[in-house]
Amino acid sequence: MNLFVCIDDTDNYDSIGTGELLENMMGEAAVKGLARAGFTVRYQLYIHDDIPYTSHNSSMCCAAQTDDRASFTSFCGKYLEENSAEGSDPGLCILTDDPALDYSVLIEFGKRAQSEVLTKEQAYETARKFGSELNLSEHGGTGGGVIGALAGVALRAGKEEGRIKGKLQPLANKTEWTLSEFATVFGVQRFVDGEGIDITEDLTISFVHPTKLIYSKGLITGVIVNENGRLMPKPKIKKNKEKKQ
Amino acid sequence: MTDWIKDKNRTLFAGGKKSFADASRVASECGHFTEDCEDELYCDDEISCYNCRYRRWTAGSFECMKR
Repeated sequence: MNLFVCIDDTDNYDSIGTGELLENMMGEAAVKGLARAGFTVRYQLYIHDDIPYTSHNSSMCCAAQTDDRASFTSFCGKYLEENSAEGSDPGLCILTDDPALDYSVLIEFGKRAQSEVLTKEQAYETARKFGSELNLSEHGGTGGGVIGALAGVALRAGKEEGRIKGKLQPLANKTEWTLSEFATVFGVQRFVDGEGIDITEDLTISFVHPTKLIYSKGLITGVIVNENGRLMPKPKIKKNKEKKQ
Repeated sequence: MTDWIKDKNRTLFAGGKKSFADASRVASECGHFTEDCEDELYCDDEISCYNCRYRRWTAGSFECMKR
């Protein structure tokens, strides 16, 4: 069975972040033979004074495969209760990944969570519409993390665009790549330019800076930019350079 | 200019989200700077309030949780 798994509000200023906790949780689940995890996507949720996030109000959602959903769900809940940071409000959401399911109501909730303040009651009301296909649960504090957790699986199920957790590092002995080589080695399924336009030509690029991939249109996507005449995967962070241009 | 604005019980960075030089300078002078996890880094400067674990983003800037 394929699933989407999201946890939220598990950290404080001195703990590991929620994304790292999710990876640790999925790693332990794999060791126990309960599930295998796919990549994790980060979604930015609404920044507002009325939302009690720690520092950035992002939500991390990974894909997973399991043969025993009940045991996996129980394990995740216990893991959050034992490993979430003091003062946090952990929430867990697990959703069936099935193309036959109509996620439209859920996706609407996820998109709203990126632009307005939502409540736990609204989260549960939305979750109930999916019956046993969706588990939403609180694991400490106010349990307010259920809002972000539900939003995370919603946006992932909707194939909404987000950043993939982690980064790709250049290889020491190879800087010039064709896009087809790059796709094969790093599992990239699609390339776009800086404007988001699909690149279909097998261009040659220079991979010399760490880069992050994005999840876009349901595909692992690399962004290719032109840096001083050289085509390359978009360097990991660009904001202050953009300011100086 | 002052780097901080007092807003009720909060201390907000006066430079908004694009004052990269100021955010780097302030962090360099701060004993609390701790780099946030890699996925939440915001700018290229290794030491910057924008990349600090103790900044809490607001709509227009960030709140310093150590001030």
